[in-house]
Amino acid sequence: MSDSAATLTQDRQKLEMAALSAPAVIFTVAMIAFPVVYTIWLGFQTFSSTGKQSFAGLANYSKLISDYEFWHGLWITIALFVLSLVLQLVFGVWLALVLFHAKRLPGIVRSLFISPFMMPPVVAGMMWLVILDPSLGAANYILQSFGLPPSDWLASPSLVIPTVALIDSWQWTPYVALIVLGGLQSLPTSVYEAAQIDGASAFKTFQRITLPLLLPTIVTAAILRSVDLLRFFDIIYITTQGGPGNASNTLNIYGFRVGFEFFNIGYASALMLTLTAIVFGAVLAFNRLRGAVAW
Amino acid sequence: MKARMLATHVALPVLAIAVSAQAHAADFDWMKFKGKTVAFLANNNPVAQALLTYKADFEKLTGMTLKVDGYQEQQMRQRLVTVMNANSDEVDVFMTLPSREGEQFAAAGWYGDLTAMAKNDVAKDYDPNGLSQALLKAATFNGKLTSMPMNLEGPIFYYRTDIFKKCGLEAPKTIKDVEAAAVKIKACDSAVTPFVSRGLKPAVAYTFSNMLHNVGGSYIANGKSNLCSAKGKEALDTYSRLLRDFGPPGVVNYSFQQISALYRSGRAAMAFESSNELRTVMEGGARLKDTGLLPFPAGEAGQVPTTIGWGMAVSSHSKQPEAAWYFVQWATSPEVQKKMALQGIAPPRPSVAKDPEYRKWIDEEPVRKQWQAALDVLASKGSSEVGYPIVANPASREFIGQAVQDLILKQKPIDQACADADKALDALIAQK
Repeated sequence: MSDSAATLTQDRQKLEMAALSAPAVIFTVAMIAFPVVYTIWLGFQTFSSTGKQSFAGLANYSKLISDYEFWHGLWITIALFVLSLVLQLVFGVWLALVLFHAKRLPGIVRSLFISPFMMPPVVAGMMWLVILDPSLGAANYILQSFGLPPSDWLASPSLVIPTVALIDSWQWTPYVALIVLGGLQSLPTSVYEAAQIDGASAFKTFQRITLPLLLPTIVTAAILRSVDLLRFFDIIYITTQGGPGNASNTLNIYGFRVGFEFFNIGYASALMLTLTAIVFGAVLAFNRLRGAVAW
Repeated sequence: MKARMLATHVALPVLAIAVSAQAHAADFDWMKFKGKTVAFLANNNPVAQALLTYKADFEKLTGMTLKVDGYQEQQMRQRLVTVMNANSDEVDVFMTLPSREGEQFAAAGWYGDLTAMAKNDVAKDYDPNGLSQALLKAATFNGKLTSMPMNLEGPIFYYRTDIFKKCGLEAPKTIKDVEAAAVKIKACDSAVTPFVSRGLKPAVAYTFSNMLHNVGGSYIANGKSNLCSAKGKEALDTYSRLLRDFGPPGVVNYSFQQISALYRSGRAAMAFESSNELRTVMEGGARLKDTGLLPFPAGEAGQVPTTIGWGMAVSSHSKQPEAAWYFVQWATSPEVQKKMALQGIAPPRPSVAKDPEYRKWIDEEPVRKQWQAALDVLASKGSSEVGYPIVANPASREFIGQAVQDLILKQKPIDQACADADKALDALIAQK
């Protein structure tokens, strides 16, 4: 076969492959692109309380700047994000180390350790709502049986964010631990043998070898959790609905209420697109960090 | 703005529907839409659950298929907003609370107009005149009948007769008596919570409105929000003080689920909660013999209970409104409402409330008798004003709840709490 004939055949094969895969590609792009484009379009519309729609230009975005609830929601979102992420990474690494070193731990105990994240968040929210009820819940009963004062937990404006962060960390720390455990199992054994020969203590080995080598894995876990934490919704919706007052009114909860309770879909779209931009920003930042700590 | 008072003021157009309806009843054929499918968007609450027990009866009677899409209340509204904004005909019939979203949905044009169908297309035994005229009036916007009432409900006062007896108390007749009883119970029995009601921000308006109206207050005066009026402040102060000083810890997260659980477990002496919760509160039978029920005790303006009801509306985007109307008609017929009443759903038809079989069921337990007596007061004296009577009613409830929570949590003095709420509410009132 001449070169030109071979090239023609190759081109034809490429065309055929493109034609065959085109429906799937178009479908996938449309499924992702349509909702995003539609939301962008909605963000430029204004809807009255009765649902009447008109073009608003950038009015929804300029409204964000002077909207106290937006800035408050952003602050709550960031506070919850930082607190939960730190808790989950610290305890996730600790749990992973426990599981890694406790080789003889029975399978059932290992499964129990990692089971919370398999629970639907709505179920977890309902469960903790009952446990933390200041009058009927088990949490205050336990505190009081140790002579400690009862707490208002989710009903206290100052405690609601730490409490929600604890609930989320209870559920998602095992997920972080699983990712980190995978990383631990893939670490090269030679560096540990060298450290042992040099007489390094367990702490020094962790500080100088394990932690630096695990950093890319930890950052990956942080990226995955960041996306969820910045979109925090279900547990708050079940337990406090943004209260007491607006003490747990995250951006996502605020956007939901604006859209589906007050029917201002345009402003809700602007809020949600802003939140999406924040999520993308966080992911990009963590991606850069991952690049910097890769080995 | 004047409250939408229910009760004796009968809407003449609605009566006209009833009179005219008899003339067309003879031609009525339940099988007219045989083979069609009607889609029903339901709130998965006790009212819809009781109704859907008889789904097969409807299908047998009409030859139609009923496709039910059931959600919890808030999720049902989300689904409805999505469907209606898309002008979709996916939903033929949906459940609605005229007191909450009536003005808004009517202004958005989401309700089909039932006036003509309720006039011209009714079965012989439907008796639209037998439905609560007050609830029909509450569902009429700009002269258009938008939904047919499914039930009658409102907050009522549950109290523990045994604790009252132990503490030497009589059943409260006034709001001041409630507070005095709370003080005495706190001293007499420290193991129980003296008083509980709704503290969760979006849920507060349902019970607070009754307090506001009983003390003689109103939400709007001269086109402006009126929470900082003397009566408005009195209602805010009394309601929040009762919850702060005599309520359970964490009451700011309390809605009907927590209130019913607390009262049912025997850990609350007084509860101000929905009449619909009777069945939940009495579950297990522990409270059956030691509970008294009343409409909420009177204030300076007497008793102006909150009275609302779920309604069934036909979507304005439905391509088969007549078939949809047949389902609405069947679901709100005397026969079906009597069956639902025997499951504890308060009937919006006085004739059903007087039915011998229903009376027999009521007479089986003293608490049921008191429940029905309280509902009779709700039906005759009630106001459907829950939150501000404006298009943005759902948003108005948030600001009422915020003011109450600010006071419960002592985050603001009353003058600031009501002024902040009035400012936000004036902006809502001004919205067109």
